[in-house]
Amino acid sequence: MFKRALGHIIRCKDASRLVSRREDAPLSEWQQLVLRLHLSVCAACSRFEKQVEFLRSAMQRYRQ
Amino acid sequence: MASTDISGDLEPQRGYLLRVARLQLSDEALAEDVVQETLLAALSGSGFSGKSSLRTWLTGILKHKIVDAIRKKQREPTVASAFGDIDSEMDIEDFDAMFNERGGWDPKPAEWGNPEDALNQRQFLDIMDLCLEKLPPNTARVFMMREVMELETDEICKELTINANNLWVILYRARMALRQCLEQNWFARNGPAT
Repeated sequence: MFKRALGHIIRCKDASRLVSRREDAPLSEWQQLVLRLHLSVCAACSRFEKQVEFLRSAMQRYRQ
Repeated sequence: MASTDISGDLEPQRGYLLRVARLQLSDEALAEDVVQETLLAALSGSGFSGKSSLRTWLTGILKHKIVDAIRKKQREPTVASAFGDIDSEMDIEDFDAMFNERGGWDPKPAEWGNPEDALNQRQFLDIMDLCLEKLPPNTARVFMMREVMELETDEICKELTINANNLWVILYRARMALRQCLEQNWFARNGPAT
């Protein structure tokens, strides 16, 4: 219950932006923390995270 | 295979190089020019070691030609606004449509299974092309600079004279749109096999 509340310090909308930004710039410690908490309780954002990582490997393949 | 004759292998790569150049430069004539220069440089140079794929090597040459072309373009006052309409592509609020009023996904990203399997399929790469072409032109350009040319974010900001925040918004837009496009056109149709 407590974990769920912590996970929702940020919304999916914010988490998705942090997931994308992390591909391009290091996040602050606070951003890393709230994102990790959110991802630990949110299946949808965890999927988004995997998909963004996949996009990067897909673009590498695209280049070859 | 240090001094392999690669002239015959170059021509089939022209289409790919042109696609990349077009996305980057949004100027057909200029794109043709940089691709021509790239192929000429490849023919006269002896840098191809065979360690990387021919395409990776050519992309490396193309990257420099494109960066040169962008720099040159920026020095010409008449086309200084070539990147001017980026503002219209930068409205992050567009993507609020993908979230409900409480900031949750609507609809939620689907399960893609093992997307890596798709990478070995020619048709998947065609869908990637289609999705990249559907991006707004400047968004595609920035995304390709980052993911295909592998430029660092500060290099891109400098080339395009935009700030880091603008850049993150553009890349976020690109990823959101590509994710959605791939899901609709591939993963919803082909997998996961459940």
